Amino acid sequence: MKVKVVTRILEANERIAAENRRLFDEANIYVINLMSAPGAGKTSLLEKTIKELNGKIKTAVIEGDIAGTSDAERISSLGVPVIQINTGGACHLDANMINEVLESLPLKETDLLFVENVGNLVCPAEFNIGEDMKAMVLSITEGDDKPLKYPLMFQESSALILNKIDLLPYTNASMEKIRKDAMSLNPSLKTFEVSCKTGKGIAEWAEWLTEKIKS
Amino acid sequence: MHEASIALSVLEIAVDNCRKAGYNRIESIRLKIGRASGIMIDALLFAFNAVKADTIAAEASVIIDEIPVSGLCSSCGKDFVTEEKYVLCCPECSSTSFNIKTGRELEIIDMEVF
Repeated sequence: MKVKVVTRILEANERIAAENRRLFDEANIYVINLMSAPGAGKTSLLEKTIKELNGKIKTAVIEGDIAGTSDAERISSLGVPVIQINTGGACHLDANMINEVLESLPLKETDLLFVENVGNLVCPAEFNIGEDMKAMVLSITEGDDKPLKYPLMFQESSALILNKIDLLPYTNASMEKIRKDAMSLNPSLKTFEVSCKTGKGIAEWAEWLTEKIKS
Repeated sequence: MHEASIALSVLEIAVDNCRKAGYNRIESIRLKIGRASGIMIDALLFAFNAVKADTIAAEASVIIDEIPVSGLCSSCGKDFVTEEKYVLCCPECSSTSFNIKTGRELEIIDMEVF
Protein backbone atom coordinates (compact mmCIF):
# COMPACT_ATOMS: atom_id res chain seq x y z
CA MET A 1 0.00 0.00 0.00
CA LYS A 2 1.52 3.28 -1.05
CA VAL A 3 1.15 6.24 1.29
CA LYS A 4 1.86 9.71 -0.07
CA VAL A 5 3.92 11.82 2.33
CA VAL A 6 5.26 14.82 0.35
CA THR A 7 6.95 16.54 3.29
CA ARG A 8 10.02 18.72 3.34
CA ILE A 9 12.35 17.13 5.87
CA LEU A 10 13.59 20.42 7.31
CA GLU A 11 10.05 21.77 7.57
CA ALA A 12 10.18 21.79 11.38
CA ASN A 13 13.02 24.32 11.48
CA GLU A 14 11.41 26.46 8.79
CA ARG A 15 8.14 26.54 10.72
CA ILE A 16 9.84 27.72 13.92
CA ALA A 17 11.98 30.23 12.01
CA ALA A 18 8.75 31.71 10.60
CA GLU A 19 7.36 31.94 14.16
CA ASN A 20 10.53 33.74 15.30
CA ARG A 21 10.14 36.08 12.32
CA ARG A 22 6.58 36.85 13.38
CA LEU A 23 7.70 37.74 16.91
CA PHE A 24 10.51 39.94 15.56
CA ASP A 25 8.14 41.76 13.16
CA GLU A 26 5.63 42.30 15.95
CA ALA A 27 8.32 43.94 18.11
CA ASN A 28 9.89 45.72 15.09
CA ILE A 29 13.37 44.23 15.56
CA TYR A 30 16.10 43.92 12.92
CA VAL A 31 17.91 40.61 13.39
CA ILE A 32 21.43 39.79 12.23
CA ASN A 33 22.74 36.21 12.28
CA LEU A 34 26.52 36.70 12.69
CA MET A 35 28.67 33.76 11.58
CA SER A 36 32.35 32.96 11.19
CA ALA A 37 35.06 30.41 11.90
CA PRO A 38 36.13 30.19 15.56
CA GLY A 39 38.34 33.13 16.54
CA ALA A 40 37.65 35.32 13.49
CA GLY A 41 36.40 38.14 15.71
CA LYS A 42 32.59 37.96 16.01
CA THR A 43 32.48 38.97 19.69
CA SER A 44 35.14 41.65 19.21
CA LEU A 45 33.13 43.06 16.30
CA LEU A 46 30.01 43.14 18.45
CA GLU A 47 31.89 44.93 21.25
CA LYS A 48 33.23 47.53 18.83
CA THR A 49 29.88 47.93 17.02
CA ILE A 50 27.88 48.35 20.23
CA LYS A 51 30.34 50.99 21.48
CA GLU A 52 30.21 52.78 18.11
CA LEU A 53 26.40 52.81 18.07
CA ASN A 54 26.63 54.35 21.54
CA GLY A 55 23.01 53.75 22.57
CA LYS A 56 21.61 55.37 19.40
CA ILE A 57 20.09 52.00 18.52
CA LYS A 58 18.74 49.75 21.29
CA THR A 59 20.68 46.51 20.93
CA ALA A 60 20.40 43.01 22.40
CA VAL A 61 22.55 39.95 21.81
CA ILE A 62 22.04 36.18 21.80
CA GLU A 63 25.36 34.35 22.18
CA GLY A 64 25.76 30.78 20.89
CA ASP A 65 28.60 28.53 22.01
CA ILE A 66 29.01 24.83 22.65
CA ALA A 67 30.05 25.62 26.22
CA GLY A 68 31.05 28.52 28.43
CA THR A 69 29.73 32.03 29.02
CA SER A 70 32.78 34.20 28.28
CA ASP A 71 31.23 35.81 25.18
CA ALA A 72 28.03 36.72 27.03
CA GLU A 73 30.09 38.16 29.89
CA ARG A 74 31.98 40.43 27.49
CA ILE A 75 28.72 41.75 26.01
CA SER A 76 27.09 42.07 29.42
CA SER A 77 29.84 44.43 30.61
CA LEU A 78 28.71 46.86 27.87
CA GLY A 79 25.32 47.14 29.58
CA VAL A 80 23.42 45.45 26.76
CA PRO A 81 20.83 42.66 27.34
CA VAL A 82 22.41 39.32 26.44
CA ILE A 83 21.50 35.63 26.68
CA GLN A 84 24.02 32.80 26.36
CA ILE A 85 22.89 29.61 24.63
CA ASN A 86 25.07 26.55 25.27
CA THR A 87 24.34 23.94 22.62
CA GLY A 88 26.22 21.22 24.49
CA GLY A 89 27.55 19.82 21.23
CA ALA A 90 25.40 21.10 18.36
CA CYS A 91 27.60 22.90 15.84
CA HIS A 92 25.13 25.62 14.91
CA LEU A 93 22.13 27.48 16.31
CA ASP A 94 18.74 26.48 14.95
CA ALA A 95 15.35 28.19 15.03
CA ASN A 96 14.15 26.19 18.02
CA MET A 97 17.10 27.19 20.22
CA ILE A 98 16.44 30.85 19.42
CA ASN A 99 12.69 30.49 19.99
CA GLU A 100 13.30 29.11 23.50
CA VAL A 101 15.25 32.17 24.70
CA LEU A 102 13.16 34.94 23.14
CA GLU A 103 10.90 35.30 26.16
CA SER A 104 13.96 36.18 28.29
CA LEU A 105 14.82 39.20 26.12
CA PRO A 106 13.20 42.67 26.28
CA LEU A 107 11.92 42.41 22.69
CA LYS A 108 9.65 45.46 22.89
CA GLU A 109 12.60 47.66 23.95
CA THR A 110 14.96 46.30 21.27
CA ASP A 111 15.61 47.69 17.78
CA LEU A 112 18.56 45.50 16.77
CA LEU A 113 19.25 41.89 17.78
CA PHE A 114 22.59 40.26 17.03
CA VAL A 115 22.69 36.47 17.15
CA GLU A 116 26.31 35.43 17.43
CA ASN A 117 26.32 31.91 16.02
CA VAL A 118 28.62 29.04 16.99
CA GLY A 119 32.09 29.48 15.45
CA ASN A 120 31.83 27.30 12.34
CA LEU A 121 32.32 28.08 8.65
CA VAL A 122 30.01 25.26 7.49
CA CYS A 123 26.74 24.56 9.31
CA PRO A 124 25.28 27.92 10.44
CA ALA A 125 24.75 28.89 6.79
CA GLU A 126 22.29 26.01 6.37
CA PHE A 127 19.85 27.06 9.08
CA ASN A 128 17.30 29.82 9.03
CA ILE A 129 16.56 31.22 12.51
CA GLY A 130 14.16 33.96 11.39
CA GLU A 131 16.84 36.60 10.81
CA ASP A 132 16.71 39.64 8.49
CA MET A 133 20.25 39.12 7.36
CA LYS A 134 23.16 36.73 7.66
CA ALA A 135 26.54 38.47 8.03
CA MET A 136 29.92 36.81 8.28
CA VAL A 137 33.33 37.70 9.63
CA LEU A 138 36.43 36.41 7.87
CA SER A 139 39.78 37.23 9.47
CA ILE A 140 42.47 37.72 6.85
CA THR A 141 44.73 35.39 8.86
CA GLU A 142 42.49 32.48 7.82
CA GLY A 143 43.85 32.72 4.30
CA ASP A 144 42.47 34.06 1.02
CA ASP A 145 41.27 30.63 -0.22
CA LYS A 146 38.27 30.43 2.12
CA PRO A 147 35.50 31.71 -0.20
CA LEU A 148 35.97 28.95 -2.77
CA LYS A 149 36.38 26.32 -0.04
CA TYR A 150 33.24 27.32 1.89
CA PRO A 151 30.91 28.67 -0.79
CA LEU A 152 27.56 28.40 1.00
CA MET A 153 28.56 30.71 3.88
CA PHE A 154 29.55 33.44 1.38
CA GLN A 155 26.47 32.88 -0.77
CA GLU A 156 24.07 33.16 2.16
CA SER A 157 25.60 36.30 3.68
CA SER A 158 24.62 39.88 2.84
CA ALA A 159 27.71 41.38 4.48
CA LEU A 160 31.30 40.16 4.72
CA ILE A 161 33.46 41.80 7.39
CA LEU A 162 37.16 41.22 6.72
CA ASN A 163 38.79 41.50 10.15
CA LYS A 164 42.38 41.73 11.46
CA ILE A 165 43.55 43.92 8.57
CA ASP A 166 46.21 45.26 10.95
CA LEU A 167 47.94 41.87 10.52
CA LEU A 168 48.01 42.07 6.71
CA PRO A 169 51.77 42.84 6.56
CA TYR A 170 52.44 39.52 8.36
CA THR A 171 50.45 37.28 6.03
CA ASN A 172 50.45 36.31 2.36
CA ALA A 173 46.72 36.91 2.04
CA SER A 174 45.53 38.78 -1.02
CA MET A 175 42.57 41.05 -0.25
CA GLU A 176 41.95 41.26 -3.98
CA LYS A 177 41.58 37.47 -4.26
CA ILE A 178 39.22 37.32 -1.28
CA ARG A 179 37.00 40.05 -2.71
CA LYS A 180 37.05 38.63 -6.26
CA ASP A 181 36.23 35.07 -5.18
CA ALA A 182 33.59 36.17 -2.66
CA MET A 183 31.89 38.42 -5.25
CA SER A 184 31.93 35.62 -7.84
CA LEU A 185 29.88 33.54 -5.40
CA ASN A 186 27.64 36.42 -4.38
CA PRO A 187 27.65 39.56 -6.56
CA SER A 188 25.51 41.49 -4.07
CA LEU A 189 27.79 40.81 -1.08
CA LYS A 190 28.78 44.03 0.74
CA THR A 191 32.38 43.91 2.00
CA PHE A 192 33.98 45.83 4.88
CA GLU A 193 37.64 45.91 5.89
CA VAL A 194 38.10 46.35 9.63
CA SER A 195 40.46 45.90 12.50
CA CYS A 196 38.69 45.32 15.80
CA LYS A 197 42.07 45.88 17.44
CA THR A 198 42.78 49.35 16.02
CA GLY A 199 39.14 50.32 15.33
CA LYS A 200 39.76 50.97 11.63
CA GLY A 201 36.69 50.53 9.42
CA ILE A 202 34.23 50.11 12.31
CA ALA A 203 32.54 53.46 11.75
CA GLU A 204 31.73 52.63 8.09
CA TRP A 205 30.30 49.22 9.05
CA ALA A 206 28.20 50.76 11.85
CA GLU A 207 26.92 53.48 9.51
CA TRP A 208 25.86 50.93 6.86
CA LEU A 209 24.15 48.89 9.53
CA THR A 210 22.28 51.96 10.81
CA GLU A 211 21.04 52.74 7.30
CA LYS A 212 19.93 49.12 6.84
CA ILE A 213 17.92 49.15 10.04
CA LYS A 214 16.24 52.48 9.34
CA SER A 215 15.13 51.48 5.82
CA MET B 1 25.68 17.78 6.77
CA HIS B 2 23.79 16.56 9.82
CA GLU B 3 22.76 13.35 8.09
CA ALA B 4 22.13 11.75 11.49
CA SER B 5 19.54 14.32 12.58
CA ILE B 6 18.03 14.25 9.08
CA ALA B 7 17.80 10.46 9.26
CA LEU B 8 15.96 10.85 12.56
CA SER B 9 13.57 13.36 10.98
CA VAL B 10 12.92 10.98 8.07
CA LEU B 11 12.18 8.17 10.54
CA GLU B 12 9.87 10.36 12.64
CA ILE B 13 7.91 11.68 9.65
CA ALA B 14 7.62 8.17 8.15
CA VAL B 15 6.48 6.48 11.37
CA ASP B 16 4.00 9.28 12.05
CA ASN B 17 2.47 9.12 8.55
CA CYS B 18 2.38 5.31 8.58
CA ARG B 19 0.49 5.20 11.87
CA LYS B 20 -1.91 7.98 10.81
CA ALA B 21 -2.73 6.00 7.65
CA GLY B 22 -3.56 3.01 9.87
CA TYR B 23 -0.65 0.71 8.99
CA ASN B 24 2.00 -0.96 11.16
CA ARG B 25 5.07 -1.73 9.07
CA ILE B 26 7.11 0.34 6.63
CA GLU B 27 8.57 -1.55 3.69
CA SER B 28 10.25 1.32 1.85
CA ILE B 29 10.55 5.10 1.90
CA ARG B 30 11.15 7.22 -1.21
CA LEU B 31 13.13 10.43 -0.82
CA LYS B 32 13.80 13.26 -3.25
CA ILE B 33 17.29 14.65 -2.69
CA GLY B 34 18.75 17.44 -4.78
CA ARG B 35 22.42 17.17 -5.76
CA ALA B 36 22.99 20.64 -4.27
CA SER B 37 21.16 19.92 -1.02
CA GLY B 38 24.47 19.31 0.79
CA ILE B 39 23.41 15.80 1.77
CA MET B 40 25.87 12.93 1.40
CA ILE B 41 23.63 10.04 0.41
CA ASP B 42 25.93 7.30 1.74
CA ALA B 43 26.08 9.02 5.11
CA LEU B 44 22.29 9.44 5.18
CA LEU B 45 21.68 5.76 4.37
CA PHE B 46 24.24 4.70 6.97
CA ALA B 47 22.59 6.89 9.62
CA PHE B 48 19.09 5.72 8.68
CA ASN B 49 20.08 2.06 8.97
CA ALA B 50 21.40 2.84 12.44
CA VAL B 51 18.31 4.68 13.73
CA LYS B 52 15.57 2.48 12.18
CA ALA B 53 16.36 -0.47 14.50
CA ASP B 54 13.49 -1.52 16.85
CA THR B 55 10.97 0.71 15.10
CA ILE B 56 8.18 -0.06 12.61
CA ALA B 57 10.71 0.94 9.93
CA ALA B 58 13.22 -1.70 11.07
CA GLU B 59 13.06 -3.55 7.72
CA ALA B 60 12.52 -0.46 5.57
CA SER B 61 14.68 0.27 2.56
CA VAL B 62 15.28 3.82 1.34
CA ILE B 63 14.91 4.71 -2.35
CA ILE B 64 16.46 7.97 -3.41
CA ASP B 65 15.46 10.06 -6.42
CA GLU B 66 18.49 12.26 -6.97
CA ILE B 67 17.55 15.59 -8.57
CA PRO B 68 20.12 17.38 -10.75
CA VAL B 69 20.87 21.07 -10.39
CA SER B 70 19.09 23.23 -12.97
CA GLY B 71 18.55 26.93 -13.34
CA LEU B 72 17.70 29.87 -15.52
CA CYS B 73 20.24 32.53 -16.46
CA SER B 74 18.98 36.12 -16.19
CA SER B 75 21.66 37.34 -18.61
CA CYS B 76 21.37 35.05 -21.67
CA GLY B 77 17.88 33.78 -20.77
CA LYS B 78 18.85 30.11 -21.27
CA ASP B 79 17.80 27.20 -19.07
CA PHE B 80 20.66 25.00 -17.93
CA VAL B 81 21.16 21.63 -16.26
CA THR B 82 24.49 20.63 -14.74
CA GLU B 83 26.25 17.67 -13.14
CA GLU B 84 27.96 20.08 -10.75
CA LYS B 85 26.83 20.51 -7.13
CA TYR B 86 27.79 24.16 -7.00
CA VAL B 87 26.97 26.54 -9.80
CA LEU B 88 29.29 29.56 -9.81
CA CYS B 89 28.17 30.92 -13.18
CA CYS B 90 25.90 30.17 -16.14
CA PRO B 91 27.44 27.28 -18.15
CA GLU B 92 26.34 29.02 -21.36
CA CYS B 93 27.49 32.62 -20.93
CA SER B 94 29.42 32.61 -17.60
CA SER B 95 27.20 35.27 -16.06
CA THR B 96 26.84 35.22 -12.26
CA SER B 97 23.18 36.33 -12.51
CA PHE B 98 21.12 33.18 -12.45
CA ASN B 99 18.41 31.47 -10.40
CA ILE B 100 18.57 27.86 -9.33
CA LYS B 101 15.32 25.99 -10.09
CA THR B 102 16.02 22.44 -8.93
CA GLY B 103 18.73 20.68 -6.96
CA ARG B 104 18.20 21.75 -3.35
CA GLU B 105 15.31 19.42 -2.51
CA LEU B 106 15.22 17.36 0.68
CA GLU B 107 11.80 15.70 0.80
CA ILE B 108 9.95 12.49 1.59
CA ILE B 109 7.73 11.63 -1.36
CA ASP B 110 5.89 8.44 -0.40
CA MET B 111 6.25 5.06 1.31
CA GLU B 112 5.19 1.45 0.89
CA VAL B 113 3.47 0.21 4.06
CA PHE B 114 1.55 -2.88 5.20
